[in-house]
Amino acid sequence: MNEAPDTAAVWAALRSIPDPEFGVNIVDLGLIYSVECNDGDIAVTMTLTTPNCPSGGWIYEGTKEALTRLPGAKKVEVAMVFEPPWNPAMLSEEANRQLGRIE
Amino acid sequence: MSGSWLATQGRLPLAFMGLGLAWLVAATALLVMQPSLLSLPHTHPQVVALTHAWVLGFFVTVACGAVYQLAPVALGTTLANERLGWWHFGLHAVGVPGMVYSFWHWDLVLLGHFGFAVALGLVLFSANTWRTVRLSGRRGTVAWSLALAAGWLLTTVLLGLVLAANRFWYFIPINPVALLRAHAHLGLVGFFITLLQGVGFQLIPMFTLGEVRDWRLANVGLGLAQGGLLGLAPALVWSLAPLAFVCTMLIVSGLICSGVGLARSLATRKKRTLDPGTRSFLRGGMGVGAGAVAGALLVAPGSPWGSAPGGFDAMVYAILALAGGLLPCIAGMMCKIVPFLTWMRAYGPRVGRGPTPAANALTHPRLERWGLGLQHLAVAPLLVGAWTLNEAWLRAGTWVLAAGVLLFVADMLGVLRHLWLTPAATAGATQARKIL
Repeated sequence: MNEAPDTAAVWAALRSIPDPEFGVNIVDLGLIYSVECNDGDIAVTMTLTTPNCPSGGWIYEGTKEALTRLPGAKKVEVAMVFEPPWNPAMLSEEANRQLGRIE
Repeated sequence: MSGSWLATQGRLPLAFMGLGLAWLVAATALLVMQPSLLSLPHTHPQVVALTHAWVLGFFVTVACGAVYQLAPVALGTTLANERLGWWHFGLHAVGVPGMVYSFWHWDLVLLGHFGFAVALGLVLFSANTWRTVRLSGRRGTVAWSLALAAGWLLTTVLLGLVLAANRFWYFIPINPVALLRAHAHLGLVGFFITLLQGVGFQLIPMFTLGEVRDWRLANVGLGLAQGGLLGLAPALVWSLAPLAFVCTMLIVSGLICSGVGLARSLATRKKRTLDPGTRSFLRGGMGVGAGAVAGALLVAPGSPWGSAPGGFDAMVYAILALAGGLLPCIAGMMCKIVPFLTWMRAYGPRVGRGPTPAANALTHPRLERWGLGLQHLAVAPLLVGAWTLNEAWLRAGTWVLAAGVLLFVADMLGVLRHLWLTPAATAGATQARKIL
């Protein structure tokens, strides 16, 4: 029997999902608002850079898929929210570097 | 959001993009075979055929595909009726080659039949766009520009049909060249400029992680250009030079407002380096502006309004507006849309299951840069050739253009190849077939 995934494993799985337009993963892009793990049950709250993001559907489905595939994962819930709306201050230092905002 | 809906996403716009690429090759080949067409009067049947191959074949096809993709994205909804979109595709794919052939051989009866097919397709396109806008409940600049652009495109084609019928039966006692000018400007300003003035404010912030903090400039820009066009079309039909000049200046002012608004949006961008597609789109916007200024000079009081080739004439104006403005805009738009749609179909289903590339990683950067660059470079010799009626310059220009188009098409085909190479694309297509 697999051990239930901890938050570090969930964040790592989320980092494997890139945004197709910018090539930056969704964690560094600031799209993940919260991660909760409880004995194999995973709850993630996420957003998109814009509610009309054309790749939003695949990002959402991919996030659920990546979490479901984690060893020991039981129930996976991904909530898509647009409050608070995403803003560039949510970009990580790594994302800023990749987007050319800082050297 | 169901996986089945996602699997069918992007097929219709991609089909239009593919057809547009085929037209880009055909229209360029036509020009390479006969560069001297650019030294003929713009009313010459073969020049009209060449113009329709470029405008209706390449520009309108890609722009319609872009609307089918962007309208739902910009309006936060789904396309009102995808099946109608496929009917439009079929009618367009059959009608436009027939129209170009009919113009080339000046067969007005055949032109009427094929023109009717194209017009019917555009009725479906316009109805679909209007319904999508209405169902979305959005009423902003982007929504208005989409609805207005669809209306102007339909008006353009219907006026084109009237124009062709009038050459046959002559039931409207108006100079056909005047009607032709109105027809061309309804399409150029009404469809393309209206579309760019709205879609630009959606695309640029989306691709650069920027924002539009103040929509007033976008609204004023769109309003001024619309006002100008409403006056310009009758002014051209009845050859009212002062009115045409005032209306053209209104359009130029509208473009300046939109340009300043876009520049302000660009200043807020978080993605500092602009990719070649976005740069080409912006460069095209400036070319459209330069074309509008040239148009204003052509209708300025005291200008001859003639159709004779040579010097600063309608052909120079058309090359500036089409090759210097619309081509980089539309090609730049394709550099963004085609990789993205291909990514959606080929790699979207693989997200979360394995590593996926970014959409722009599907392109070949050197081909893209050189392709767009050479197309841009071709404008100067084409302008010199048309101005001086020098065939050597025209030939040089068309060859540079053809080299640019070749590299550009090679890059686009390289992107589209992913649709057949990746297992996810095959799985997505199978899933889509089951649903349909």
